[in-house]
Amino acid sequence: MIEILICQIAISILLASIFLIRPSLTSATGWKIVAFIGLCVLPVLCIVGGMNTHVQRSETTRFCTSCHVMVPFGQSLSIDDANHIPAQHFQNHRVPSDMACYSCHADYTIYGPLSDKLRGLKRIYLQYITTPPAAVDIRIPGGFKNAQCLHCHAGARSFEENPVHSAIMDSLKSNQVSCLGSGCHDTAHDIANLDHRKFWKPVQ
Amino acid sequence: MKLSGIGIRRLLQVSSALAILGLLIEILSLVWFHPLSFVLFAFVAAGLIGLGILVYLVSLVLVAPPSGDTGR
Repeated sequence: MIEILICQIAISILLASIFLIRPSLTSATGWKIVAFIGLCVLPVLCIVGGMNTHVQRSETTRFCTSCHVMVPFGQSLSIDDANHIPAQHFQNHRVPSDMACYSCHADYTIYGPLSDKLRGLKRIYLQYITTPPAAVDIRIPGGFKNAQCLHCHAGARSFEENPVHSAIMDSLKSNQVSCLGSGCHDTAHDIANLDHRKFWKPVQ
Repeated sequence: MKLSGIGIRRLLQVSSALAILGLLIEILSLVWFHPLSFVLFAFVAAGLIGLGILVYLVSLVLVAPPSGDTGR
């Protein structure tokens, strides 16, 4: 898709170059239409296509871990421990491995993707303008919401028929009992102990 | 308000130059895989392209004849 967008941008540049060099061409009706396409329609499509590409790219694991402070979180996805929630989701493809971060950290509400992007911009500000926090000090504002687990697990037979889950289902859905912080699934991104952890290496 | 032909041509050149610059920066942001590439696209490339479109639309408005003159 990015190749198509770059071709579109190249055509826009070509058309705009014509009117940069010979603006007098627009006195003819046919060239007026070409100018409208080259200086208005195609650039708008380039902005829309560029925004779409950047938003999709920002959802990839590679993009998240390209930020220096996120590198240990990316490494923690390879921890060899069945109780380590992010690692077992990543390694067993319970989330798409190329969108592992976004799958669990997206805000699945109507304006969620927009608020995710605004939060991302705030992090860029923290990274480049102020002093960024150390990786071990990074916490999700308001804590990890159960809705992000229930987005996939709610309705799944293995989840619903588990007696522990069914006994506290209402509390889980209302976020009164946290999936992560209630002693059940409490090992997530154990980056403070990365040095002491064993790592899984996928078979090539 | 009407501009002379030369003024409109100048606006078209400014519009083209802004669009070209913005589009080149957009290509750079697409090939550069970095958290700042989105910022470069959203705040620089899209801004320049948008400004180029705006200048082009302004040139269209300024060159359009008053409504009373149309079709006569």
